[in-house]
Order: sequence, then structure tokens, then C-alpha cells
Amino acid sequence: MNKIIVEENTNLDLSTLDSQLSFECSKSKSNLYLHNLKSDNELSFDVLENSVLYLSIFSDKVLENCKITANLGKKSKIVVYFADFSVSKNKLDATINLNEEGATCEWHLASLSSNNDNKDIVVNIYHNHPSTFGRIDNYGVCKDKGQLTFSGISYINKGCHLSKSHQNAKIVVFDNECVAKAKPILKIDENDIEASHAASVGKVSDEHIFYLTSRGLNLEEAKMLITLGYLKPILKGFNDSIQNAIDSLIERRLSNV
Amino acid sequence: MATLKINDLHVQVEGKEILKGISFSISEGETVALLGPNGHGKSTLFNAIMGHPRYKITQGSIYLDDLDLTNLSTDERARAGLFLGLQNPAEVPGVINSDFLRAAVNATSKERISTYKFYKLLDNATKELKMPFDLATRSLNEGFSGGEKKRNEILQLMLLNPKIAMLDEIDSGLDVDAIQTVADVINKLEAQGKGFLVISHYARLFDLIKPTRAIVIVNGKIVLDGDPSLIKRIDQTGYEFIKTELGISIEKEENKMNEVSIGSCAVRESIKK
Repeated sequence: MNKIIVEENTNLDLSTLDSQLSFECSKSKSNLYLHNLKSDNELSFDVLENSVLYLSIFSDKVLENCKITANLGKKSKIVVYFADFSVSKNKLDATINLNEEGATCEWHLASLSSNNDNKDIVVNIYHNHPSTFGRIDNYGVCKDKGQLTFSGISYINKGCHLSKSHQNAKIVVFDNECVAKAKPILKIDENDIEASHAASVGKVSDEHIFYLTSRGLNLEEAKMLITLGYLKPILKGFNDSIQNAIDSLIERRLSNV
Repeated sequence: MATLKINDLHVQVEGKEILKGISFSISEGETVALLGPNGHGKSTLFNAIMGHPRYKITQGSIYLDDLDLTNLSTDERARAGLFLGLQNPAEVPGVINSDFLRAAVNATSKERISTYKFYKLLDNATKELKMPFDLATRSLNEGFSGGEKKRNEILQLMLLNPKIAMLDEIDSGLDVDAIQTVADVINKLEAQGKGFLVISHYARLFDLIKPTRAIVIVNGKIVLDGDPSLIKRIDQTGYEFIKTELGISIEKEENKMNEVSIGSCAVRESIKK
């Protein structure tokens, strides 16, 4: 397998590369931007001691059986921003191994499931060492006949005390034929840890709609603004030109809401 | 000069009649204190005037000048010139405060506002409210303290420029300095000719904004509509005189406690049912 050394700023178009790639990151701060992720991609990341990797992924293609694995060393950190606007049937499986003390993962994902998309997104975090920290934030919008499932397990293994693990999965649903599921799971085999999980699936809140319409926004504008609130925060993980591209994609895809 | 006219308003919430025939009017330039014991319909009145879908108007009407608002949607009422500063504004994650404010300003003003002009407006208003500008760039009310939420409501009031503003316990959660700041803004807007309908349980805010009138709601009806000396009297002696002088007995708030509360065995209670 080819090994790619991540420099401070790396942009990679995956469409022309092998499906299986491994990345090594040893810089105190590096940014890696991946686009044109494709089906059967298997990406593995080694984040070495004291390194920080900001991994930004933008996907707007078909994405079947995609796997991401990250192994984190001592006091290392990975921050993932995944903007998932892929289409049709998609399966994404991410596994984060927090292997040494101080290893940290922040996972942010925004996903839009529309038309007949069927998306299954799994993010697992393994706390394999004491004092490791994981956070998963998955936000989704489901419309038309879209299907969207967020699942993920945070494992805090025996002996891994003082670890912290938090999961948050939220999906806003628009149409009666949508199928949306959020299943954040904690599996904990140690005391003296901190863990939480939250999930919500539902239509846009009536109280939120009332609040926004009481300021003069009509129902459609209010719904749109609230919906964008699920997707737009992911933009902060990308540079300006990608932000604009994702932004216009969101507005195009939601234009018939 | 715009006048909001409420006529014989009856309002139900979840099938229970809360307001039982409310009639009054308020014009621009007036500041009216709305008083009454908890649970007697003050907030219900505000929500019904603003068109909250949970509050069903079963009888009566709401007019702003010649415009019948009774069956209009909430956003149409807002664009007509009404504003409601909420007691507990919702936290809306992901919606950036300034994006929301700009959409609201555009919705309520005749022409679209330029980015530059909007930020200028926002900058001035946040300074006047002594509010850190970064609150404008965060998610709407998310993680805001009680006081920050209330300032954010006043910020919206300043930017949206309504004719009549209803403020529901806008002073709760504010410290003394912040109440002064908010009162200064209300006084300035009143001098510009806005009308205010204000609910508060504390005389401090009323001392600062000097209402021109006071209305007391008891049992879902207006029992007094008079001069602002009522505020001082109620602050000092409570609502007891309504019973002794007007012969109206004040209904107690219903006990809303669930049958099952902490400390009892929820399973056993539910089996009993």
C-alpha cells in the first residue's frame, strides 16, 4: 500500500489514486483536504506523537463501502470535518483508535439524504488507553424518500479511566417517506470516566418556527434557516473556495424544500 | 399613529380557556404595564396576539389600525409591526445569530439592506446594549446566559423597528446595570413613538420606563385599566385588594405536578393506572 506523508497543507484528489491509501502525519499541525472520495476507498491515518491532523473531506459522488481508520499516538489529535453530500446508496464506516495517553478525536459530520439516497454512517471510537478523549457530532437532514442512519459506538475499554467520550446525533426530517435513525451507543467497561450521548430525530421544532416567524420570516424562510443550521456549521472546516462550493451545493439541493 | 385594538378576545390552550374576553387598546407612544398574578393569562395574551399556533383564538378580534390580524400568520403580524420579546427565547443550534437578524431585518423592511449597512446597524446596536459583538456571530441563543438571551431580544427589537412591542419579563435574568441599559433603549424608542406593552414582576423596570398606564389581568379578564399608580400599589401590597375592593376572588394556579414525582416508585404508580 502506498504511504502518503502529510505535509502542513495537503490537497488530494482521490479519483486518480489507488483505493487503498495510508497516510502518516507527524507535524505539530497539518491540514489535509480530500475530495472526490470514491466507492471502496480504504483510508488509514497514523497520527504520531504530539501531532495534530485537521482532516477535511468533501464528498458529492457515490460513496459505497468507504472505510476510514485512524490510529492516534501519545498527545496526538485528529479533527475531522466530513461534508457528506454524496448521492444514492452510501455506506461509510469510520474507526478511530485512541491508542495512547492524551489521544483526542473530534469528529464533525454533516449529511444530506434526499431523493432516494440511502445512507448508513457508522463512526466508532475505541478508547484503548487511559486519558483519551473522543467527541462525535453527526448532523443530518433527511428529505424526499431519503434514508439516513447515524450509528456509532464509543468503547471505553477496561483500564482506560479518566477518558471522556461524547456523542451527538441529530437529524431533521422533512417528508413522510423519510427514514431516519440515530443510534449513539456507549460501551463502557471502566469507572471514573465521563461519557454522554444524545440523539434527536424529528421535524423542525414548532417553537423554533414560531420564534423565527415572529421576527417576520415566512414559514419557508424559517424552515430553511433552521435546516441550514444543521448543515452549515461544517463549513468552518474548509477553506473559502470549498466553502463557497459546498454552500451553493446546499442551496441547490434544498431549493425545493 | 398606529393603534393595536384587542376586542373581546377569548383564547384556549389545549382545550382550556385561559383568556375570557379581553378588550383594550394601545397606541404608539404609550407604555402600558401589564400586571397580574402568575398563571392568569398575561403571557397567553402576548402569544395569542403574536399568533402562536398553540394558542387558539375562539372569539374576538385583534386589529392593528384597520388591518385585521386575527387570522393572519405570525410572520404577517410581525411584518405589520408587532414584536414579541420572549420570556424564554428558544436556542436554535447552527443558526448564526447575525444571519437570522439579517433575514429578519430584510423580512420586515421594505427594501433589502446592504451587507455594509446591516453590519453598521448591528455594530451600533450591540454597542448601545453593551453586548459583545461575538454574540452576534454565535448560534442563536445557544449557550447564551439568561441575561445574554434577554439582551439579544432587545437587539432584535432595535433592529426590527416595530410599531408596537410586547416585552414578556424582559428584565428577569438581568443585573441592575443591564436593566438600566434595556430601560434606556425602551425610553429612547418610546420617545421615537413606539408603543410598549410590558410584563414584569418587578417595580424596578417600571420605575425606569415610567408606564403611561397599567392593566391588571386576573382570571383571564382585565379587572383594572388605569393610571400607573397601580404599579406601586401592587408592588407594595400585592393583589389582595382586588379581592377586598373589587370582590373578585383570585383563582389559584392549578397544581401542575405529575402524579409521579421524584421519590416515588414510578413503576408502581403506572401499574396502578
